[in-house]
Order: sequence, then C-alpha cells, then structure tokens
Amino acid sequence: MLTDEQRARFASLADVLIPAAEGMPSASQADVPTKWLDDALGYRPDLVAGLQEALQAAGDLPADEAVELLNQHHIPAFEALGTLAAGAYFLNPAVKQLIGYPGQVPTVARDDTDTYLDLLENVAERGQVYRDAPAEGQPT
Amino acid sequence: MTINQSVDLPDVADVLVIGAGASGSVAVKALAESGFSVVCLEQGDWTPPSVFAGDKPEWELVRQKQWHPNPNVRGNPSDYPVETSESDVNPLMYAGVGGSTLLYAAHWCRFLPSDFRVKTLDGIADDWPFTYEELQPFYERMDRDMGVAGLADNPAYPPGEAYPLPPLPIGKIGRKAAEGMDKLGWHWWPGANSIASRQFGHRPACLRYGACLTGCPAGAKASTDITHWPAALEAGARLVTGARVREVTVDAQGRASGAVYIDRNGSERQQKASVVILAANGIGTPRLLQMSTSNLFPDGLANSSGLVGRNLMMHPYGAVVGVYEDPLESWLGPAGQSIESMQFYETDTSRGFVRGAKWNVMPSGGPLGLRAGYGGRPVDESWGLNFHRNVKANLGRSFEWGIIAEDLPDESNRVVLDPELTDSDGLPAPKLLYTSSENTSRLIDFHVERAREAHEAAGAIRTSTTKLMRDCGWHLLGTARMGNDPATSVIDQWGRSHDVPNLYIIDGSTFVTSSGVNPTATIMAIALRSVEHLIANRRDQVVSATTTTV
Repeated sequence: MLTDEQRARFASLADVLIPAAEGMPSASQADVPTKWLDDALGYRPDLVAGLQEALQAAGDLPADEAVELLNQHHIPAFEALGTLAAGAYFLNPAVKQLIGYPGQVPTVARDDTDTYLDLLENVAERGQVYRDAPAEGQPT
Repeated sequence: MTINQSVDLPDVADVLVIGAGASGSVAVKALAESGFSVVCLEQGDWTPPSVFAGDKPEWELVRQKQWHPNPNVRGNPSDYPVETSESDVNPLMYAGVGGSTLLYAAHWCRFLPSDFRVKTLDGIADDWPFTYEELQPFYERMDRDMGVAGLADNPAYPPGEAYPLPPLPIGKIGRKAAEGMDKLGWHWWPGANSIASRQFGHRPACLRYGACLTGCPAGAKASTDITHWPAALEAGARLVTGARVREVTVDAQGRASGAVYIDRNGSERQQKASVVILAANGIGTPRLLQMSTSNLFPDGLANSSGLVGRNLMMHPYGAVVGVYEDPLESWLGPAGQSIESMQFYETDTSRGFVRGAKWNVMPSGGPLGLRAGYGGRPVDESWGLNFHRNVKANLGRSFEWGIIAEDLPDESNRVVLDPELTDSDGLPAPKLLYTSSENTSRLIDFHVERAREAHEAAGAIRTSTTKLMRDCGWHLLGTARMGNDPATSVIDQWGRSHDVPNLYIIDGSTFVTSSGVNPTATIMAIALRSVEHLIANRRDQVVSATTTTV
C-alpha cells in the first residue's frame, strides 16, 4: 500500500507527533510505521488518500516543519495523518498496557445501588422537582 | 436470531408501513399480532450484533467512519445524503431494520407533564392534543416491551409502575457526579436506559463495553430489530429490505393507495395497501411527503397546512467535560446515561429564557476518542510531549455532563428537497434550513455554567465546555406536527392526516414541541397509542376504492 520511502517519511512525521517521552515509546518504537499502520489503514481505507496527500505535501521539509505546515494549511490531510498515527499507536497492546487502558473488555454489570443510596435519600427527601400541569381547559 | 426476507407479498396489504425503525417496528408488530396483513418497506438491511465493532480493537478507528451516526460521514448506499450547509446541526440517523435504535444511546426518558402544556404554562409554542396522564399507560407498556433498566420513585416524575429491570451500575463516574450534586442540593437520579441490566427474555445482560453509540455487540441494548421484529415476523408481517420509497400513491379521491419503491436491483415496484403509515423519521417522512406530488396534492401530500417539513427541532446539545485526579474507569459503559438531573428542567423566567434541559452523565471512552477535533490548533497543544500528558491526565479520569436543550418550534427551521443533491437511486436528497434560536443560546449558556459548577463541586480539577455540538442531531422532530386544527397541523392526535384519511404518521415528525429529553420512549409510546386506535377503529377506517377494506 505504501512504498518504503513513503513509510519512512510517515515514520519521521509520526515520531514528531508521538515522540518517546514520559516513559512512553515513540511511534516508531511502538512499531506504528511497520505493523500497526497497515492494520489501521485496513480498518480505515478512506484515510489512504489523506495520508498520501500529507506525505506529498510534507515534501523534503524537516519533519517538525512539515508537521506545522500540514496543521496550518492541509488540515484534512493532517487529520488523516494524526488519526492514523494515534489510532495505530493505540492498537498496540503494549501501549494500551502502559496507559492503563484495557480496551473494551466484557465486564459484569453488577448492581452498585448500595454505593449511592445514602446520597439518593437526600434527593428523595427534597421531593418533587416537576411542575404539575393542568388538563386541557383547566386554569394553571 | 432468524432473519426472514419476505418475498410472498400480498397484492394489496391491509397496512403498508414505511420504515422499520423505532416507530415502524411498534406499528408492524401490533398490526400483525392483531391479524392485519402488513408489509413494511425498509431502505436499509439487517445489522446483526456480530458486525458491531464495540468489542474489537479497531472500535475507536471505525467509529469515526463506518459506524459514525452522521449518514454523510458513513456514506453507505442505503443512507441518503442530507444537505446541511445551511444548518447549525448535522442530523444523525441509521438506515436499517431497527433504524436509529441500533446506534442510539438508549437513554430512556419520558416527557414531563409540563411538556404537553407548553402554551398553557409558558405562553409559547403549543399544547399537545393529549396529556402526560393519557400517554402514561403506553409509556409503561413500552418500558416492558423494551426491557428498561431504572430505579422507580424518581421525584422528577409523577408516580407510576416500577421499571422491569433494576438500574445499571452508575459506576465511579456516576458516584463522583452524584457527590457534586449532593453538595449543591441538586436533583440527580440513576439514569433509566433501555439496556438489559440482567438477562431479559432473549437479551443478555449488558457487558459494559461502553460502545452503545456504535451498536451493542452483546445484544443487550434494546434495538427494535431484537425487541420487535422477531415477534412481528412470527405473526406474519412481511418485510422488504433494500426498498427505497419514491412516492406514496393516491387514487382519484385523494386517498392513499400504496407506494412506489425502488428495490435493491434498481427496479421500480409498487405495493398497494388500504392504509399507509409513514415511520421514516423527522427528515425522511417530510422528504417523502414532499416527493409525493400529484394533481390533487401539488405541494406535497398531506400538506394543506403548508407545515410539512416545517418546525424542525433537533435538540442542540451542550456538554461540559470534567477531569478528575481520581481514576474513574470512565471508559466503562453503559453509554447510556449513568445518572441524570432534572434540576433545571422546568421554566424559571428569571433565568432569561423559557424551558430547560435534562442533563446526563456519560463516559468518555477510550484514548483515541479523547483526541477528536485537533486539526488547526497549535501542534504542541495536542502532540509531542502533550500527546502523552493529555492521555495520562484524561483517560479514565473524565466524564461528561451532557445537556439536551429544548428546541422550540419555528416554522423557518425546515426540511426541503434539495434541487441538485440526490441519493444513490437518484431521488432528491433532503436539505435542512436550521438555526438555533436566541432562547436556546441563553438556555445553553445558563446550563453549561451550572454543569461546570456541578463538576467543580464534585472535585474536578479542570473543565472544558462545548456549547453546541454540530454532530448532535439525533432527535429529528416536529416536521409533520399533530394537532386538532387542520390549518395549524398535519395530523390529528391519532397520527391520521387531516387531508388523507387513510394516511398515518407515527414517527418523531408528529411532535408538537420537543421537550428537553431524549425522545425515543415518547416516539414509541405515541406510535403504540396511534396504531392501537387504528386497530380499534378498523371498521370505520376509510380506504381507497382501489383497495379492500381493513
């Protein structure tokens, strides 16, 4: 889908957006430009054109300057680039683990009424909060 | 679930229902179970729970495209495009068996008594032709049919039957929000949702994926493909999917005689019927009436009042997100409303506006959803070092107080046919002309400020506000309003057209006012009330001379 050259260019831009910092890996360190970008593009083939536009518009500019240019003057292409970079990053289970996000895993819906009944009693004690409405033809 | 695609269609159906969503499902089931021959035409298809992405790793990526609620973003062949360049709000909907209940948040809310008496109480808009008390039995039956989970004795509502299921967990976000409301002395209550908190019939209990708005992969959410269609088909209803209706046909006496539709192969077909019911939502229904012109009805069908398509209401939606230090697992469902508040629902003219809004707490989802809408802002605000810092600060630690602002009827807000844009069958697309009002603007200003205070009372360390979300038009209401006077309404209180005695409308188009709550419970309760009146009065029903009597 992408040439080696395009993939390398994407990697340089993605690493500006998602650098190694605060104990988190960069996009490249998290295999975004290699494995996870392909998965992301498979899920979102509509973003291919925007990504290619972003790579073309970035030209040979230094990566940080290219990102600024895209953000200012190629917003749809920048959004495609950003969505793919971040979306691919969060597909990596190691990244999810580092940020403490389990993903959408089945969780039993346990009744937690007992955790808030004390507060709810106060609401009940304050009483009715709606207006009575007269039937048709009756005065308000 | 067995999916039956009916092919053995009657030459003349007793009743033709157009649209297999929330209201159409109610009508088809009730009619079929009462022995009527019923044909339903649906432009979309079946969407089994297994295709939803909410339990899959790609969920956050595909929810921005394939499962987006805006048909213009989704762009499926079964979706018709909507021209929105002159609308403050984008309409949201889903074409398919079950309609928008497949993607709705399942907030299950009733109108309040005052919502039916807006003119009498507040001197604006109009009263409805019936009261809360008249609709209450139908609300309670729909609660049972949809398997609603909630807690009884909410002081925001008159007394009534308990919900059939206990409330869903409000979670850490609900508890945190409730603490703030308690400090302020403001109303809150566990949210009622049409989501199974326990096994309910064939529906399993909620698995808290938090993906309600992109379709429930567990099948726990009450969408009408699950709650109504199996019984309707069992009772003999015929369903044609991939059927896009071009026109409701009329006979020489001006009575409805059926509909012409385009099937999935592009062939034009006709279905005759003694009675026609429109259930195509607040945009699809006026679009179809406007497309159904004839010598007898040159301005569109059922439009002698000139109100078909007018008074569009879409519930502008404001939101205040609060960020907290405590981990709140705020990706957990349901989504769904955790808790709700009706503290500022009723009119208080000292606030500088009339009417009000329901508030609801909803979870904030996963890491990618937190990053929507970053284009155009400074790069380092959202990327680089702050990419990581924002995720750590917000993920699992934020939730939304959402505000459903009552939208008042205004004839200049309307649905028209676009002169150029068409759907995939070449039929005119609808165009929206819609401006949020000054009253709504003041209402939202007031409510977001109170919601910010609610977050702060709960201990939020930071809040952010969205006063009018563009992609918020879930509630498509008012475009074929009901009333007693044919000069100021399109249908009577039973959904019957004032102009065409065997044409009924039962979707959100019928609403006189919008209320400030999610409308699906009211749409379905009114649909049930209307169709049961039709069934009870079948012997007096006028039909086309070209069809049989019902």
